[in-house]
Formats: sequence, structure tokens, C-alpha cells
Amino acid sequence: MIFRNIMHLMITQFLLVKTFRLILLIAAVATLSFVLVSSSPVDPVDAYVGAAMLRISPDQREVIAKRWGLDRPPVERFGRWAGQMATGNFGVSTIFNEPVLSVIGKRFITSFWLMALAWSLSGALGFGLGLIAGAREDTLLDRSIRLYAYTMASTPTFWVGMILLMIFSVSLGWTPVCCAWPPGLSAEQATLWQRLHHLLLPAITLSLIGIAQITLHTREKTIEALRSDYSIFARAQGESTIGIVFRRALRNVALPAVTLQFASLGELFGGAVLAEQVFAYPGLGRTTVEAGIRGDIPLLLGIVLFSTIFVFTGNFMADLIYHLVDPRLRKATGAIS
Amino acid sequence: MNVRHFLIGVALPLLLVIASGCDRQQKVSADTPKTLTLILGEENTEGFDPTLGWGSYGNPLFQSTLLKRDADLKIVSDLATKWELGDGQLAWTVKIRPEVVFSDGSPLTARDVAYTFNTAAKAGGVVDLSNLQLAEAIDDSTVILRLKHPDITFIQHLITLGIVPEKLHGPGYGRKPIGSGPYKLVRWDEGQQMIVEANDRYYGIKPSIKRLVFLFSTENAAIAAAMAGKVDVLGVSSNLAGQKIPGMTLHVVKSVDNRGLMFPMVPDTGRKTPRGLAIGNNVTSDIAIRKAVNYAINRQALVDGVLDGHGRPAFGAVDDLPWDNPEIRFKDNDPEKAKAILEEAGWRDSDGDGVREKDGKKAEFEILYNTKDSLRQGLALAVSDMLRPVGIKAVPRGENWDRIKDELTHAFVIVYGFGGHSPLEMYKLYHSNGPEPMYWNAGFYVNPVVDNYLDQALRAPSFDEAIPLWKKAQWDGKTGISTPGDASWAWLVNLDHTYFINQCLDVGKSQMEPHGHGWPITANIDQWQWTCK
Amino acid sequence: MTINPLALDRRTRTMMVILGCLILFSAIFLGAWLYGEQGQVTNLALRKLPPGWDQPFGTDWLGRDMFARTIKGLRISLEIGLAAATCSAVIALLLGLAAATMGRIVDVAVTWLCDVGMATPHLVLLILISFACGGGAKGVIIAVAASHWPALTRVIRAEVMQLRTSDYIKLSHRLGKSPAWIARHHFLPHVVPQFLVGLLLLFPHAILHAAGLTFLGFGMSPHTPEIGTLLAESMRYLTTGMWWLAVAPGLALVLSAMTFDVLGNNVRALLDPKTLRE
Repeated sequence: MIFRNIMHLMITQFLLVKTFRLILLIAAVATLSFVLVSSSPVDPVDAYVGAAMLRISPDQREVIAKRWGLDRPPVERFGRWAGQMATGNFGVSTIFNEPVLSVIGKRFITSFWLMALAWSLSGALGFGLGLIAGAREDTLLDRSIRLYAYTMASTPTFWVGMILLMIFSVSLGWTPVCCAWPPGLSAEQATLWQRLHHLLLPAITLSLIGIAQITLHTREKTIEALRSDYSIFARAQGESTIGIVFRRALRNVALPAVTLQFASLGELFGGAVLAEQVFAYPGLGRTTVEAGIRGDIPLLLGIVLFSTIFVFTGNFMADLIYHLVDPRLRKATGAIS
Repeated sequence: MNVRHFLIGVALPLLLVIASGCDRQQKVSADTPKTLTLILGEENTEGFDPTLGWGSYGNPLFQSTLLKRDADLKIVSDLATKWELGDGQLAWTVKIRPEVVFSDGSPLTARDVAYTFNTAAKAGGVVDLSNLQLAEAIDDSTVILRLKHPDITFIQHLITLGIVPEKLHGPGYGRKPIGSGPYKLVRWDEGQQMIVEANDRYYGIKPSIKRLVFLFSTENAAIAAAMAGKVDVLGVSSNLAGQKIPGMTLHVVKSVDNRGLMFPMVPDTGRKTPRGLAIGNNVTSDIAIRKAVNYAINRQALVDGVLDGHGRPAFGAVDDLPWDNPEIRFKDNDPEKAKAILEEAGWRDSDGDGVREKDGKKAEFEILYNTKDSLRQGLALAVSDMLRPVGIKAVPRGENWDRIKDELTHAFVIVYGFGGHSPLEMYKLYHSNGPEPMYWNAGFYVNPVVDNYLDQALRAPSFDEAIPLWKKAQWDGKTGISTPGDASWAWLVNLDHTYFINQCLDVGKSQMEPHGHGWPITANIDQWQWTCK
Repeated sequence: MTINPLALDRRTRTMMVILGCLILFSAIFLGAWLYGEQGQVTNLALRKLPPGWDQPFGTDWLGRDMFARTIKGLRISLEIGLAAATCSAVIALLLGLAAATMGRIVDVAVTWLCDVGMATPHLVLLILISFACGGGAKGVIIAVAASHWPALTRVIRAEVMQLRTSDYIKLSHRLGKSPAWIARHHFLPHVVPQFLVGLLLLFPHAILHAAGLTFLGFGMSPHTPEIGTLLAESMRYLTTGMWWLAVAPGLALVLSAMTFDVLGNNVRALLDPKTLRE
């Protein structure tokens, strides 16, 4: 009874602290971002008008400026924007003429599948490779895996994507050249297999790079675990290395790996931006680039905040898992029950 | 967890995925209607709301306009049956045809027309109706468009502004554009494609092709799709038009999409615009230099070399349009004449370095072009080569578009491109402008005679009566904007717009297209037919 | 006294690796300088040629030699990366020192700044800052410089905080030396190895991120056609089979980043007192 209450209290406290930090963070990021975009020399009216510039008179430019609220001083604009944000209104995108949240929502769903697939692949493969490398320290296998990881860490994501595109899509024709499903079909007509087919190369691109960090990290932890007391004890009792790894070290190695995966959501998002550009995949990453290049300030700000929340969620999950699984915590509560 | 088991568990599904995706080549079966698939360029991310500018580039497809241009660019009626300019050229009285309905069945009346014009004027999009005072519907079929000042080019809005239903229009209209045009939007998968079907309630001749799919993709993917036989109409830039695509023929459309060199017309006296841009160039402000450049250039060679033959020489901003003055043509590729002009004006090569001088300054200037545009880069390089033999040193330099717009546009020779269906462009390019002209008349060209013709043209009582005045502004026998006159620009080439079309598709006679290819080819899409059985 | 041949070999090996890396980079700069403007020369007769004897990396759609373009692009990438990484590292040093020596409030503020700096995905932050600077090579440098300091700041802060607890620092303090003096004479020399290694290991990140930014189109300044720009241009011709346009510049970038990595790790091995004794 007491144990449950204390658990509730600790969880509530944990959540409250996290929420407070999130709000503070959002406020800071929002303010900084707004200051940054306001000091940009890019003229949003110019960016909006684009190719129609010869048809737009100075009078019309004023009308456009008024429409986007650009004729007000920056402080007033910030006040309005912050106020609207607090009520969940992120403004209207100048590129899409749609509420920013709606634009982000639609495209995030598309990116989500890409990121989820890449995240799972890189997590599973990276973990596996790290275990192998750690278990077979200093062998040829270990060194090859390490070389691969180091090389991948120095390779730009978009270049890997381009190489894969050239080999598998252009030369061999095994995978499509672009897009989220075969062009010409509507969203409903595209089957799951077709969507996966289009997801394949972008996801592999992201995974190939994402593996590096987790492989190296897992390898370190595996080596550490194999040098620990309980491993030496097990070995003395005749257990093979593989046995030790899979029966005893796994839990200790898995935890840091999982937390690392959750903490790497930021890198994942960044990688998705690049991969979507190479494969013309219509997700949130591509939209970010468009917003930046075409000077869509409401959308850009919206994406900055959204991605901040995204990263925060990742770190939060990592923290949560750590707290939940940490044996010290268990022991403390176990003693009370 | 066994790594081996895991790898098998992952590899097998992956193989299945690849295998199943490989039979994605779907051939159209006999009983489904033949869908026309087009890839024509950039997606209209803002949506399809005419009050924000959709269709101002030619034709709004889902909505109808009061007037339209036929294949020869003559203005003919569409929704409007009568249109008269009166009241001191300040009011258009337009009668619209009866019994027109929107695709949802509701009737289109003069009130919708008035609403469309009034809303577009205030909407802050890329359609400029700042000259509209008020649009009023005086009955169900008559609307009066009142202007603030006379402007014959206002008729362009009657040609391009699609009419929206007052009762259904609102902020989300752009994504559900109900209109009275030949086609209606069925679905739009943003970032990928748009599916469009014929509107059964259309008042005109119903299109024979019932279903259209517009795809949005990169040029790479577009060509790959065309090679795979999945696209029926593909717009490509001319440097990619040389390849062979099985089942498709090359369809070349003439255009007024031009490229030329803009000259700063005034000397550099240290003057700046209110925004701080430097004005003037001491070399190009000399008319002899400008004329020499015009005569020295071999425009046909530019077409052959830089455009791969897909184009024709340009001598003015409005070549071959109804308001083009044929008298401005001259024989170019004449370096001897260019040299003579320079000699006579006092530009001589006194130090033997191949570059002429006069009053201590060298016949030297930079030609700026937007780096992202390899066509303009090619033109700049080629022109530079053509000018060297006559003693002018023109140095090509790539710059960011933003830098050109915000710093350099009034003081340097720049490769610009224009070309539209409205003579308003001529007015904007050549009429003297205020102290901050931006891209209109960036060279600060001033000629009161030309100004007069242009102003008179705006005030003309009808579009046809304005045409002789537009022509006079180019050359009236004594002066003008063209090379025989002030040589304010060195127009170089008019591009051809190149499209690959399915061999079994007849697209009729294409209009001469404006600047920027792609969408304009759909101007007569309701007349397209499949020809194979 | 017996000399352990293995230790000497290892140290010498490390130094030779470092030397090798430095020579490679000098070669790139020298090569770029030697090539001069050749990378810009268009030759419409030699368009779209695959790699061959006369053109080791092929030519592009305007007939420009890809080898020259790659070397030049690499040099610009390296310059941008170095400039940005150096700025970042200096910022990290100053902030890290400040956080550890100037009291609790400054420490909290700097830690908070680090958190905010790492709160947004790296690339999104880069795009935001690049947009704020209006793009161009300058924007890329500022963007990369302004986003890479948090991690190193934390490391330096941790290092200095650890130092503060050591005896000789406490002694200095009691002898009346001002915090600034201690910072300069005790902390700084001790932190320099960390700083140097951190700086070197920052380079590959900076270079790769700068390439990513320009690939997306944010650094498009015609006078600085760096590797990301080259790769973005080559994307247009991928389906036409001109694979050499993408492979060469990309490989060059990867090799440079790896070389910096190797350089950084070896310098770390050299300077780390623990491994010195191995």
C-alpha cells in the first residue's frame, strides 16, 4: 500500500518536473527562434511573390504584407505569435495556405513511418553488431565492424542515399526512384507492400548511418560487461563467452542501448531531412527545407518547436526507461514492500 | 536473442517486399477510362484559389474566366458575352452568359463575379487588383468593374481570374475548389499528385479526356517515369529534349519566354536608391556601346549553341505577339557595323590590348546571371566570346538571385528573362519609374516620347486600339525602346518550350507560351483527344 | 634502463600517422591552389565524359573537369569546416571555463544554454540559423559554428570542475591568486589537450554538416562551390547515368572526414597521459 503511494508520488513528481522543463524549454526555443527569423534579411513578401514579381505592384506588396502581419513591429508580432501559440494556433503557412499544425501533422505521419522503420532497423542491427564485436574483441570480425562504424560516422547521410539510389534504383531497377508510393496511384490504392517498397531505400540509408553510434556504444558496454566480476566468475565456471553475453550481460548492455536509441531521435530527424531530399519523399523533412528556402516563417517556427518537442520526448522516454529499469530504484522500493 | 535468427527474420520479409513491388508496372485495362498522366512542373502548394493567384499564370482549369485567348492569342469570350469599356475608360460593363452552374449544381451569377473581383483585390495573394475600385453586380447577369485609373491592360484579369462561388468561398477553398471550369479536382495528395475529372456540368464543349492525373516530382523521377511508359505529357527543359523516349514524340511550342541583357541606362554618379542600391554604369550608359553589343551578337548561334536549336532569336520583349512592331528587327551578327559604331563614338583601342577606351574608361563590364540557371550562364559566356572581337570586354559572373535583386540590379548588365501575354509587361519594363523601381525598368530608362505612348496605350478605349500605341513605343520612326532607337536592352533569344507527348495524343495547336513552361500547355486541354484506338 | 621497443614504436607510429594526415591536407590546399581557376573553365566539346585518362573524375554537363572541381570544392569545404569548428571550439572553451569558475549562476546559465542548444535536432537548428543569416557561405559558417559548441562546453566544464577540487588549485587560491590568474595559469594549460582534441574531432562534424546544409540548398553562393553544392547539382543527372558526378566528391568528403577523425584520435592518444605510458 505504502509502496504504491510512494511510487505514484515519485512518478507524479517526475512528470511534473519534466513538464515544467518542457514548458521552459519551449519558451526559450520559441523566443530565440523568433528573434533569429526576424533578423533574417530574407524578405518574406519577396519570397512569397517569387516568380510573379513583375505582376505585383508596390501597392499589392503592401496588401500581402498586411495579410501576413508583416507590417507590424517585431515585438508586436512576437506577442501575437506567442499568444496564438499558447492557445494552440501556430499560424498559417505561407507556402501551403493552411494552418501550420495541419501541414506538420499531415507530413509528420509520412515521415513517422520512415523514421520508425529506420529507428527499429538501426537499433536492432546496431545492437546485434555491437554485441558480436564486443564478444569477439580484437578479432577480424570486430575490426571490420569497427571500421564500418567509423567510416559510417564520417559519411554524409545524403551521399549514402545517392549511392544507394544510383545502384539499386537507376542501375538495377529494384527500387523506385522517388516518392512514398507509385506515382499515379492515390493514397488508398497504394498497397502496404508498395509503400514499404518505397520506404526501403530511405530507411536503409538512415539505418546504415544510425547503426554506427549504437554499434560502437554497445560494443564498449559489452566489453565492459565481459570484464566485470560476474563475467569472470561465470567464465571460471566454464561458460562460453557467447553464453555469458546472452545470459548475463544482455540486460546490462541492453539498457544503455535502448536509452541511447531514444536519445538519438534528434539525429534521426536530421537524417530524415536529408534522406527525404534525396528520395523526394514527401515528409516533414522535405517540408522543413522548403520552409527554410522559401522563407515560410510561420511554418519554419512551427517545425522548430515541433522537432524540439520530438527530441524532448525521446530524451524523456530514455529517462523514463532508465528510471523504471534501474535496479537501484527497484531495490529501494522492493525493500519497502 | 540470436542474431542469425533475427537476420533471417528481417531478410525474408525484405525480399518479399522487393519481389512484390517489382510487378508495379500496371497497364491500363480495356474497361477503365484512359487516364491522361501529366508532369508539368511545380506543385501549386498554396491551393487552387483564384483570388490568391491560381490561374493568373494562364488558365485556372477548375474555374472559368470571363474571357480567354485562343490559339492565336486573340481575346475571345468565355463566361462573358459582352464586354465594354466606358465611362472615361474607368468602367468595364460585362454581361455573362446565362445558365452556367458550378460543379455542385449551384448557379453562377454576376454576384459571384463581383465577389471574386472584390475578394481578390483584398486577399493579399499574387494577383494584383490594386487598380480595382469596386466590382458590383447590377443584376444576375451584369457586372460593372470600376477602376481607379484607366488601364487597358486590366483586361488581363478578365482573362485569367477564375470565378469562385460566393457561397462556398472561404479560407479552405483552395483545397476544395468548386468552380465552373471544364475539370474538377477529385483529390490532391500533396507532394505527390493531383487527380482531376471532367466536369459534367460544364457549359462549354465537354472535354473528351475524362480523367487527368498531374504528378509532381523531380526532373529525374519524371524522366524515369516517362521512360517506363507511365507519363503521357512531360515538360522538360530544352537541354534534356535531345533524348529519345519510347512511345513519345517531342512537341515544341514557341514562346515569348525570352532572355536578354538589361543595360543600366544612366551613368554612375554615386547616386543610390532610397534602399541603398547603387545606380548607373558608366560604360553601358553610352548608347554606342549598347547598339554595338546588339549588332555584334549572333543570336542564331546562341539558339543553336546554348539552346540546342530550341528557340528563335529575340529582338524585343514582345516578339511575335499581336503588339509586336516588326520594324524593330535588324540584321545582327554584324561585328563590322558594331566596330564602326564604336569608332564613330570615340571608343578606340589606343593601348593595343584588344579593349577599346574612351575618355579614360575601358569598354568593360560584367554580365551577371543567376548561378542556378545554366542556360543564362551559357548565354553570358557565349555573348562574352562574341563581344571580344569588337573590342568590348564583357566578363560573365554568377551571382545569387537575392544579391542581384537587393544590391546589383541597377548598376550591372544582367541576364533577365520575361515574356507574358499582357502588354503591361512592356509598360513595367520601359516606362519611367520612381526612385525605387526594383525589377521594373531597373536600368532607369527614361524617354518622354516612349512614356507618352505607353500612357496613351493604357488609356485607350479598347484593347485593339491600344495596339498601335504599344508598337509606336517600340519604334515610331524616330525613337523607341528598341535597337534602332535607344537600344535599352539587348534581347537575345526566345525559348522554345519542349514537351514529350504520348504518340497517341493530339494536343491541338498550342498557344505561344509565356515565361516559364509547364502549365501553359494546358490552355486548350479541354480540346485534347486520344488518337489511337 | 631498458627501452621498451613497443612503446617507442607506438608513439612513433602515432606521430607518423599525424604527420601523414597533415601532409594529406596540405596536399589538398596545394592542389587547389595549383589548379587555380581551371575548375571553372567550361568546355562544351568535352561534356559529360566518364572517368578516363585525361579526366580522372570525368567531366560534368558543361565540360568542367570533375577532379579540379572536387579538389577546389574540398578545399572550400575544409575551409568552411575549419572556420566553423574553430569558432565553435573557442566558444566552448570560454563558456566551459566560465561555467566552472564564475560561480553558480553563470554555471546554471551556461548549462541551460547547452540544454537549449541541444534541444532541437541539429539540422533544423542549422537551417534556422542559416535562414536567419540569409544563406550564403557566411550563413553556413555561422550556422555550423553556432550549433556545435554545447557538447564540448560540457566536457571542458566537467574537466575544469574536476581540477578545481585538486590540491594545488586550493593552494593557489589560499596563496591569494585571483580566479582569473588561476584560470589562465592552471586551468588553461590543463584544458588545452582536451580543447585540441575536441577541436580536431569537431572538424569532421562541422565539415559534414556544412556539406549537408549546402546540399539542401542553403549555402548556394556561386563563388564557393563546395562539396555539398557539387553533390546537389549532380542529383539532377543521377538518372541519366552520370554516376561519377556524385561518387568522386562524396568519396573525397568521406576520406577527409575520416582523416580528421584519425588525426584527432591519434593526437588524443599522444596527449593522453594514460596511454603515453603504454
